[in-house]
Amino acid sequence: MPSDEPVLRVRNVRKGYRQVPVLRGVDLALPPGRVAGIVGENGAGKTTLLRVLAGDLRPDGGSVHCGGRIGHCPQETVLHDAFTVEQHLRFFQVAYGLESLRRAEELMEVLRFPARRRARPGTLSGGTRQKLNLVLALMHDPDVLLLDEPYQGFDWETYVRFWDLAEELRARGRSVLVVSHLAYDAGRLDTLHRLEDGVLREQERDAAESGDRVGAP
Amino acid sequence: MKRQWDCYATALRMTFVEHLRNRLALVIVVLFIPVWTILIYVLSLEIPLPFHVRAAGRSVTVPANVLNQIGGALQILALITGFMMFVTTMRSASFDRRLVRSGFPQLCLIAAKLTALAVVAVSVALYATGLICLTHRPAQPLLLAAALAGGALIYGGIGIVLAAVLTSDLAGMFLVIVICSADLALQSPLATTAAGSVLVRYLPDFGPMQSAVAAIALDTVPWHAVAPAACWALGTAALGVSAFVSRRGAHQPAGAPVTARP
Repeated sequence: MPSDEPVLRVRNVRKGYRQVPVLRGVDLALPPGRVAGIVGENGAGKTTLLRVLAGDLRPDGGSVHCGGRIGHCPQETVLHDAFTVEQHLRFFQVAYGLESLRRAEELMEVLRFPARRRARPGTLSGGTRQKLNLVLALMHDPDVLLLDEPYQGFDWETYVRFWDLAEELRARGRSVLVVSHLAYDAGRLDTLHRLEDGVLREQERDAAESGDRVGAP
Repeated sequence: MKRQWDCYATALRMTFVEHLRNRLALVIVVLFIPVWTILIYVLSLEIPLPFHVRAAGRSVTVPANVLNQIGGALQILALITGFMMFVTTMRSASFDRRLVRSGFPQLCLIAAKLTALAVVAVSVALYATGLICLTHRPAQPLLLAAALAGGALIYGGIGIVLAAVLTSDLAGMFLVIVICSADLALQSPLATTAAGSVLVRYLPDFGPMQSAVAAIALDTVPWHAVAPAACWALGTAALGVSAFVSRRGAHQPAGAPVTARP
């Protein structure tokens, strides 16, 4: 049974752009082996929060402490059009200091990544690019996975496989934080938070499901 | 140390892949450099033109077509390296940032980009020197190659700096062309009387231009031209690197404690 000591702890994080506050004091504690969701309307600051958590943006105030490795899958696919799929994997293998690409291979199999290792991102479909984006965030088996609208472009089957993968990560004590503008996945989450007026509020999942549209990605 | 070396080797290999994927730049290198350096030599007048090699304290008389050819070679090499460095730095910005946040040492990325810049600059300079030698024999071919490489290095650095502050290919290319054209036009006695002004010594390609003309017409190395060229090359490289680092904005790998700036 995983401990309840948070693997990711966020305290009073504040961030604004040009004097306009976006995050007004966000608190969050994510224990190991949990799948949590953050929902909010467009412009609520979800992506800003995730970038602060990933260390990509420095907050104006507050702190973020993570007790393990972080994997961050950004909303837009951050790939390089000059490199093949194979070269992307190689680059990130070196970045993460991995001995082998075994985990990446497993993930690609789970996500049914087409066997086109010499293809460049420009020749891949949007969904396949997003799969590669996700594999790059996950291939070092992080303790905390931060996902920003992770299933954009996924077909239904891949969407289901994605949640199977999230289940597998949870079972192995990994924590997943999913950011979305809709709460149709509320039933798959352990906890759901709503980002509103720059602060996070825990929300009843039933209320979220009835309040937001329920449907496919 | 082994990890640093692995990272550097990987980054270097990938940087060359990026450059080799820039087909337009390769076409310009392979086709345009010979066409430009040979055509400009053949089509320009052969009238003798005085040129003050300020760095050597001497005036020399050089045929106008040779002077045009040297200026043209410096210009095309500057444009190519400036364009190549601008494009690769700008297009890889988000990807590099993600890599650094994933633990890739930023120093290795920077070292790889600078190594690639040096290799590109030396390669195109040797290529252009070889082509120039087909049309006439410079007094010091090695000095000519070094001068052309110096000019290319300077504009490669300018390309990296521009990539940090601009967001479109067109704007970057336009600015490189404008800066380079003004730089070399002001040094050409054929184009302007300002070539004799003391102010030209502060232009980016002053050192390379002086050295290149000395390589054609003198048998001494104008050491006084080396310092400004080195300053420009190192200065633009340093500015480019700091702009590269600040633009990435990733102050640490993902997972490190994040706090507000004190």
